[in-house]
Amino acid sequence: MAEGVHEERLRTREIHRARRAARADRLRVLGWQLLLLALFLASWAWASGRVLDRLFLSDPVSVARAFWAILLRGTLWFHLRFTLTETLLGYVIGATLGLASALLVSLIPAGEPVLRPFVLLAYATPKIALAPLMIIWFGIGIAPKVLLAAAFVFFVVFLSTLAGIGTVSAELVSVVRVMGATPLAVFGKVVLPSASPFIVTALRITIPAALIGAIIGEFISANRGVGYLINAASSRYATAEVFAGILSLLLVVLLMNAALSAVERRWLRWAPRPETAAP
Amino acid sequence: MTALRDVNLRVRPGEFLCLIGPSGCGKSTVLNMFAGLTAPTDGLVLHDGRPVSGVNTRVGYVTQDDNLLPWRTTLANVEIALELKGVGREARRERARQYLARVGLQGFEDHYPHELSGGMRKRVSIVRTLVDESVNVILMDEPLGPLDAQTRLLLQDELLQLWQGSGRTVIFVTHDLVEAIALSDRIAIFSRAPGQIKELREVGIDRPRDVFHIHEAPGFAAIYDAIWNDLRDEIRRGREPIGG
Repeated sequence: MAEGVHEERLRTREIHRARRAARADRLRVLGWQLLLLALFLASWAWASGRVLDRLFLSDPVSVARAFWAILLRGTLWFHLRFTLTETLLGYVIGATLGLASALLVSLIPAGEPVLRPFVLLAYATPKIALAPLMIIWFGIGIAPKVLLAAAFVFFVVFLSTLAGIGTVSAELVSVVRVMGATPLAVFGKVVLPSASPFIVTALRITIPAALIGAIIGEFISANRGVGYLINAASSRYATAEVFAGILSLLLVVLLMNAALSAVERRWLRWAPRPETAAP
Repeated sequence: MTALRDVNLRVRPGEFLCLIGPSGCGKSTVLNMFAGLTAPTDGLVLHDGRPVSGVNTRVGYVTQDDNLLPWRTTLANVEIALELKGVGREARRERARQYLARVGLQGFEDHYPHELSGGMRKRVSIVRTLVDESVNVILMDEPLGPLDAQTRLLLQDELLQLWQGSGRTVIFVTHDLVEAIALSDRIAIFSRAPGQIKELREVGIDRPRDVFHIHEAPGFAAIYDAIWNDLRDEIRRGREPIGG
């Protein structure tokens, strides 16, 4: 027995070594990524005015300048505030409803096969096509944008959560029930944690989806929001400002992703990662 | 399909009973019935004189797979049965630590299952069942099956040490004849499906036992030959290897 445990300690050390190696790998990857970005910006700058008209393509420096200008003027923040509100509200509403509906459906197993085709139909409906309807129903305020964003988020979270709940091991549930778990305890201590990697993935991939919903709403009809800003700029052929607007959306997605990654690290600490997984 | 027929088994309180037989003979079904996970189509399962209906929470069940909760640390995995039965946090931590120490896992309390080896996960799986002292019957379904030969012997030894003097009844399914002899007081030999109990044999080797040298124990050869004879007939009739 003692020898077995000694062997395990060696193994633990092995895991730590693997982690260090993985960190070095990540730095190398980051280096290449920065290089690629620089290459992209350089070829953009070079092509602008030589290959394509500067009017259409703009260039990195002009974009940075435009970004800086709308930032200083307060224009960006004014519009971003609306887009952010719509995106976050839509995201939270869509995710909450998606999660709650999946949990509800999983409690009534007989209902799932009945509902499935309807859910898939609704999922398959291009949400973009709903945008004009939403405007008719809810006007040009933030409500239709929030709803569009929520629609983009809802189905993905709903279907992923349901799929995650479907992967729960029946044997694990049996074992825990023999230990005296009530149905509620089974749900909280086994079903939900089992499904959590699916839920987190859904929450991650729906971040840009929520933003798309909000922007589409703003494209179609609005007098504020980054979508409106981009639309208005493009009608003036202010390409640099269009790119600056897109850049600000990118930053929003990156920020939301970082926030979710922090949540994920806490939530899924237990999940085997490639570099620490047992061989 | 009928898995079992005319199975009449009376388990003595505090004994270590092994169930052995050809694959698919319904040994595991017996355990599932005792745990209340499968209801017999006909007949009765009694635990301490009371019929088992619905899930039997007065038993502990060690399954073939370790079935640890991947999102819980070693310590939290061992605590779960006590947690579900409402034992306070400090008390259950203390008990879990004690049991982990008994199988040499002190220092691994904060590891997640994927960071442990197969043998360690097996130890955790056994200990998290034994830690709940309110259950007096432990069901084990080939718990040591997938382990390598050495780890298996070590775990047999640890298991006997944990069980010895605990007064708890163990019903242990295995397909390994030597393992059955090393561990048990009695061995029930199952016939091919639909499973019936063909023989019920007393092992009669003194305790405490040395699992590492069980072959040399007085009486080993006799019981081994007797059970091998019982099993050989079943295997010939079924033309299939022992297993499952």
